[in-house]
Amino acid sequence: MTLGPTFRRANDTSFVEAVLIGFLCLFVAALIVWPMVRLALEAIAPGGTPTLAPMFETLREAATWRAAWRSFETSLVGALGAVALGGAFAFLVALTDIRAKLALVFCFMLPMMVPPAVTALSWATLAGPASPLLKAVGLAPPPGSDNPMYSAGGIMLLLAIQHAPLAFLVLRAGLRAIPRELVEAGRLSGAGTAEIARSIVAPILWPSIAAALALAFVSALGNFGIPAILGIGERYYVLPTLIYVRLSSQGPTVLTQAAILSLIVAAIGVAAVMLQLFATRRASMRLAARPGAPLALNLGRWRLLVEAAAWTLLVVILVLPLLALIATALVPAYGVPLSSATATLENFREVLLRQAATIRAFANSFWLSVGAAVVLAALALPLGYALVWKRSRLAAAIATAADVPYALPGVVLAIAMILVFLRPLPIIDLSLYGTVWLIFVAYLARFFVLAAKPVIAGFQQLDPRLDEAARVAGAGFVMRARTILVPVLAPVAIAGGLLVFLTAFNELTVSALLWSAGSETLGVVIFNLEDSGLPTLAAAISVISVAVMFAAMGLLQAISKRLPAGVLPWGNDR
Amino acid sequence: MFHRLAGVLTALALTVLAPGVTTVAAQQTLTLYTSQPQQDAQRTVDAFMAAHPNIRVEWVRDGTTQLMARLRAEFAAGNPRPDVLLIADSVTMESLKAENRLLAYPEANVEGYPAGVHDPQRFWFGTKLITTGIVVNRAAPVRPTSWADLLRPDLRGQIVMPSPAVSGAAMIDIAAKAQAPGLGWDYFRRLAENRVRPTGGNGDVMRQVAGGERLYGIIVDFLPLREQARGVPVEFIFPREGVSAISEPVAILRSARNVEAAKRFVDFLISRPGQELASAMGYMPAMTGVAPPATFAGVTSVSLLPFDAAAALRDDAMIRRQIREIFGE
Repeated sequence: MTLGPTFRRANDTSFVEAVLIGFLCLFVAALIVWPMVRLALEAIAPGGTPTLAPMFETLREAATWRAAWRSFETSLVGALGAVALGGAFAFLVALTDIRAKLALVFCFMLPMMVPPAVTALSWATLAGPASPLLKAVGLAPPPGSDNPMYSAGGIMLLLAIQHAPLAFLVLRAGLRAIPRELVEAGRLSGAGTAEIARSIVAPILWPSIAAALALAFVSALGNFGIPAILGIGERYYVLPTLIYVRLSSQGPTVLTQAAILSLIVAAIGVAAVMLQLFATRRASMRLAARPGAPLALNLGRWRLLVEAAAWTLLVVILVLPLLALIATALVPAYGVPLSSATATLENFREVLLRQAATIRAFANSFWLSVGAAVVLAALALPLGYALVWKRSRLAAAIATAADVPYALPGVVLAIAMILVFLRPLPIIDLSLYGTVWLIFVAYLARFFVLAAKPVIAGFQQLDPRLDEAARVAGAGFVMRARTILVPVLAPVAIAGGLLVFLTAFNELTVSALLWSAGSETLGVVIFNLEDSGLPTLAAAISVISVAVMFAAMGLLQAISKRLPAGVLPWGNDR
Repeated sequence: MFHRLAGVLTALALTVLAPGVTTVAAQQTLTLYTSQPQQDAQRTVDAFMAAHPNIRVEWVRDGTTQLMARLRAEFAAGNPRPDVLLIADSVTMESLKAENRLLAYPEANVEGYPAGVHDPQRFWFGTKLITTGIVVNRAAPVRPTSWADLLRPDLRGQIVMPSPAVSGAAMIDIAAKAQAPGLGWDYFRRLAENRVRPTGGNGDVMRQVAGGERLYGIIVDFLPLREQARGVPVEFIFPREGVSAISEPVAILRSARNVEAAKRFVDFLISRPGQELASAMGYMPAMTGVAPPATFAGVTSVSLLPFDAAAALRDDAMIRRQIREIFGE
């Protein structure tokens, strides 16, 4: 009883803290660990009987390998494109004296936050003979020509654009780490630009490039919206869309097969990350010190030209598709050219006031994402507390597990959720399948990491002595939580919640497989409307959902000064 | 910060929910699965709810084949959601009836309907007459007038058809043509050789032909006839050899939770006002004596392909296998 406060810190865990950690464990075990285990079990022991027959049967099918190859091919080309595009912008922003960097970065990051299905829809309405935009200026291809977006090439192009911001973030950090001293030393000892690039820059940058490539590849692999809108009609299936098509036309009889297919997706993703780790294993450069000053290149008389090129590219990848989307939302029927005589707000009226399904979808997506945001932000606080301040091993395990459902393709989680919740739950005999709660539970599992990351970063910036001082002064856990933790960490918790909201509001991959009567999400109605040949209505909802997204991003930007560096996905680290 | 944010969220929530608030007063819920196009389903449901203010309809729209997959998933989960089905074709209804999933409604008033439009045991009731023909973009160089015209080499790669994996009408159309002398499975093999590929549902065919991505499409009649009237540059053609037809039947599920409301919904669809609504939306009504829609004004007579529904039901697995073999998955 005479032990000092430093010793007490290690083993004094108040009842409330224990309950909170216990609850977190239960949450992660029930919603993340068990579904993943159940998914693996389904592949090796469907229905509880151990057999590898369904696995061999699925692996023997030509369609499996065709879809796996297409997944690999589109993701790889998409990732290479993302790295090229993101790398070019990262180079300009990190190393050159190009002007208006903040605006450039913000605009370049926007495609990442636009839902993939909306990206696909906007590009599809931009290109092709029906394009209202091209028709209005008389540049539409003649009737009978293919829409070039509905192809493997279209999918690859959009995967590259969608994931270029991810690659950009990784590469910008890598480029900033190139020490100017080293390059100058190279130059002084007589090396040319090519020699410097080969023997100094390349080895330093290689791990960043590999990481950017792997990250973009894994994200592209899990992308559903782009190959669903552009590929399903052409029957160009990648693994996530093959799973969707099989399940939506054949139902749960193919659930075992879907589980195996989703494990193949997961395996490809894991293999890509392993390959990246292996390839960069020996490449870790030990730089003597933090670079004194990052490299700075003077563009000189090329600056204006480079700036013009960069902004033109942004107009093409960001502004034009969105304009096409708006134009499509304004025509009375697909195929009618847009003019002052034909323009109408009828589509907006239809989706906002008349269509019960779209009105319901707005409400569903709103409440699902707000609910998930609030619950996850609340759960993130005790996790960050236990992980950073208490250095709890259990909390570290929980944080690692929370990474899995977000890192793996969404279709993997969706199948796992169906497997766990298809039958009524034991004891309480309640079935989540076919209700909106299944989607909610899936969102909690998938987006926990988004809420946790900013909060953990927030705890890392705070001095634990703050907590200790209050404890020494006799404040209990609840008292300390109320007076220190919550007020100080509110901005990061809100940021985490807003990130969850932003991602969940437009989510499609998980809800496409889990929705049912009355629980449609915005992503689902956009996809269904496009799928049933009503692109004008799909475009109208897309325009509204993009507007909501920009508003939420603006809100985040407004509080960005109070957030730790790197919390915002579009980069607030200046 | 919290307060300001809460204020914003509340305001957003009110905006989002405002349209839904008015429906809170309804006392009972009816769940409908339908394959009607989105806007038609909404109009049908709105008209029904206007006539029965105490019933609120929750509905899901999807292709018939996909709705059946959804329904079978729910049967497996022991939790079928819909009370009533309004889907493309009676063959699918017959398969559900054979599995003992449907509830008969013998008291339904079928006056004014020719025999064969509804099930003799009153398990399902046809509500419309929807045929499948050819839609042409007006920019197309050729105006095909027969199914055989779709095999012309100068149309190669320019034709789109709805997928039987989505659309019930497409399934029946294929089954009817496969039975027809002079067409048969050989016709589909030659279609496939002419690079005709099934894609999504009928709506998707409409979108592609209206947008000019393809110039010719196989499609249900009411969509192009209606779009034509709205200024979309397309034309609908009833091919010479005859067309297949579906009746868009309605049926009550045995597992329905709200059987009374489901019966009111069936009553509404087969009543004269229900039939007049169908006509107003551009569908050929199933009840005799109800005026056909204005979009059908130029149509004088249409010959139907003969169709043996019992054989189609019996050969279902074979038909699906043939389709897979000819068109791939």
